[in-house]
Amino acid sequence: MTLPVEHILEMQGISKAFPGVQALDKTDLFVRKGSIHGLVGENGAGKSTIIKVLAGIYTRDEGTVSINGAACDALAPAVVHEAGVRFIHQELHLVPYFTVAESVFMGQEQHGVLGLAGRRMRRRAEQFLKESLNCELDGKALIRTLSPAEKKLVQIARALIDDKARLVIFDEPTAPLASGETEQVFKAIRRLKERGISMIYVSHYLGEITDLCDEVTVFRNGATVAQLNRVDANSTQTIIHNMVGRDIDALYPEKKHSDGARMFSVSALGDNSRFFNVDLNISAGEVLGVAGLIGSGREEFIDTLYGLRRAEAGDMQFDGRELKLKSPADAVANGIVLVPRDRRNDGLVLNMSVGDNINLASLDEVAWARMEKRGLSLKRANELSEQIDIRPRNPKAITRFLSGGNQQKVVLARWLATQSKLFILDEPTVGVDIGAKVEIYQLIKELAANGAAVIVSSSDPQEMLGLCHRIMVMYRGEVVEDTPIDAIDFDSLLALSTSGARVASTA
Amino acid sequence: MSGTNSVSRPALFSAGALFSAAPLIIFIVLLIYLGISAPNLTDPATINLILKQSVPTVVVCLGLATVVVAGGDDVVSGGIDLSIPATAIICAGILADQLTNHGSPLWSAIALAAVAAVTMGVLNAVLVVAIGMTPLLATLASSVAAVGVTKVITSSRRINVDHPFVIYIRDANVAGVPSAVLIAAVFVLLFCFAVHRTRWGMQLQAVGGSRDAAEVSGIKTSSLVAQSFFIAALAGFLASFFVLARGSGSTPGSEENLLLEMVLATFLGAAFSPRRIVTVWGAVLGAVLVTALSVGFKSIGVNVFWTGCIKGTLILIVVASAAYSGRAQS
Ligand SMILES: Nc1ncnc2c1ncn2[C@@H]1O[C@H](COP(=O)(O)OP(=O)(O)OP(=O)(O)O)[C@@H](O)[C@H]1O
Ligand SMILES: [Mg+2]
Repeated sequence: MTLPVEHILEMQGISKAFPGVQALDKTDLFVRKGSIHGLVGENGAGKSTIIKVLAGIYTRDEGTVSINGAACDALAPAVVHEAGVRFIHQELHLVPYFTVAESVFMGQEQHGVLGLAGRRMRRRAEQFLKESLNCELDGKALIRTLSPAEKKLVQIARALIDDKARLVIFDEPTAPLASGETEQVFKAIRRLKERGISMIYVSHYLGEITDLCDEVTVFRNGATVAQLNRVDANSTQTIIHNMVGRDIDALYPEKKHSDGARMFSVSALGDNSRFFNVDLNISAGEVLGVAGLIGSGREEFIDTLYGLRRAEAGDMQFDGRELKLKSPADAVANGIVLVPRDRRNDGLVLNMSVGDNINLASLDEVAWARMEKRGLSLKRANELSEQIDIRPRNPKAITRFLSGGNQQKVVLARWLATQSKLFILDEPTVGVDIGAKVEIYQLIKELAANGAAVIVSSSDPQEMLGLCHRIMVMYRGEVVEDTPIDAIDFDSLLALSTSGARVASTA
Repeated sequence: MSGTNSVSRPALFSAGALFSAAPLIIFIVLLIYLGISAPNLTDPATINLILKQSVPTVVVCLGLATVVVAGGDDVVSGGIDLSIPATAIICAGILADQLTNHGSPLWSAIALAAVAAVTMGVLNAVLVVAIGMTPLLATLASSVAAVGVTKVITSSRRINVDHPFVIYIRDANVAGVPSAVLIAAVFVLLFCFAVHRTRWGMQLQAVGGSRDAAEVSGIKTSSLVAQSFFIAALAGFLASFFVLARGSGSTPGSEENLLLEMVLATFLGAAFSPRRIVTVWGAVLGAVLVTALSVGFKSIGVNVFWTGCIKGTLILIVVASAAYSGRAQS
């Protein structure tokens, strides 16, 4: 007889229903001790729900849970914490003006006889970051001076500093990071594995899953549809097949190149602090990608394009007219459609229904005198929400209760429903599952095919290469490359973003 | 919540940086101007006077700084307690009424005043934490109520107090320093230590810095916010003795000026901290400077109404600048 595999976590037959939705339906999740366990599934598949059940935030309707061999009947946040389970939330939850040490020890500050033991905490924080997470940071540095990856590591350090963690759950940890920066977080995660800590890793980036994880569980519609005990680069197809229930052979639509008239151009744009002297030209029917790491000025540049920041130098031309933007409202009034980066905060009224949220944009854009046009855009919005598969398919559902990815889709549906000649899409597919990505890419292609110019800003190089006709790379506030897509590949795009120059050709 | 990926900070001499430093610059200019036109401002005697005059403001500022630290320094939605001066005035009214009109012993007068202060603390904590009102509205309401009750107690009249305890606070000197200043200094040290040097204080700062962050770090946020309102009421209670001593009794309407100076001093104090956040010691420093300004204006013969106008304008600038830098950060 063989010994049973030792599991740090066994969740068996877990069910959880919300009014009108069976979020989990007899779901299983087994995590082997010492492994990194990938958890994948479409938006709304139930990943966040099972994690909240484990965290003791939701109570399960049925099923058994045992942590490290001990059955846990009632899960409560304190009980789970005591058992050594730690959660790395997607949001960073850091105070910008706290120091690294203060942030790491938040909630478990150490005390000496004469008040706080500031120096001891600082040393311990520095040492922990270095030894357990492979990251050298000054304990006195302020959070707002750190890179996004470093912030993530500080957040991880805070969860683990008491050295009692045995199972750590990461919920989409790399979502706010650009691809050059994820490696630092991966190194930390691998180091934790060497130290014998088990992990659950939730992500929509399947590349990360196959890279990092030892085993994978796939959810679909609240049920476990596959458990892979070994993972390699070839597992991607299996995972996708199980996730969406069909094969996806082409992630990106075929590019149809079209040479339209000049639609939008920017010359010598700069704000004298984050980006300088940027030129951009885009024609009707073209999809232009703007690449660049966080801090490269890409985000500030894009913000300026839709009036969120003020330009100090340069000018913009849109459809043959001079364009002066003082606010995003100006951009909208000029017929520019923008999908903001922080959609959840900037784009949604969480307490309104899905239907109302989708129609918001058309509401304030169409005056009362043009009622019939409004009716039209309503219809189009509803079609769109069906096309990109918002679940549950109920326009009356309250947006707050949708899964993270489905909330993203609501905002996208709203903006893509608007008629315009220029679309600016900032990180259009963050947090969105692979099936919906395909639909969104298809939509973008259609927008362009119908004669719109589309600017896509993204931190996913693969997406840029698959989607765009032309790519512009920013590095340290300047454009270091502006090239048609067939003259650039993944490696040179990455090299350009991280170092400002192409790698020396190895041919 | 603040954006996670914006690391932009205003350049050293940008318009934004200038605007957030504006209150400090204006203050320094005013003080230099006063120092020149009223040279005796720097006499030891005048400095003693300024310190003594500033004590009630300093003590209420201790309370406000604690609330702002715990609630965050967003001027509109963050932590604020406008009712501290009203608490000080209601306590002072009770003390004066008991000591002078009823001839009660000191301890029973103090006990009654303490009951009033605790009531204010509970009221604010319930309104903000349990009911979920914004602190600005909740404490404005409780402040109006407390002022009303004070008018009932004192029949809206001035009540003189000549109890030896109050006279001691008013007149006594220890080694050349007014006793009121020494007592207040002890309070200041206690508050500084509690808010900036203890675990409790760090957690208070964490709650004010980011409610969510504190929550996921296992900090009991609601309880800490409630505690901060209690402490604010305590500060109001402590301040009442100095208010009594400064006016030799309770005077109706004196909460208005105290409120003005408290808000001005506390948010001005943020300009002194390297991280540009409200701190206890910053607020104390602010309170002393604001008093110096009042004393200075008086000594060069500026009309009190004008002084009020100038202070009002300063508040506007300070709060606007705080709101502006708050917006620039998010
Ligand atoms: N509090 C709630 N009330 C009602 N329905 C809910 C609630 N929380 C989740 N749901 C529903 O449960 C289902 C599962 O959601 P969950 O958040 O677990 O998805 P997910 O797998 O994390 O998706 P994503 O990848 O988009 O984050 C969704 O249909 C969602 O609308
Ligand atoms: Mg989720």
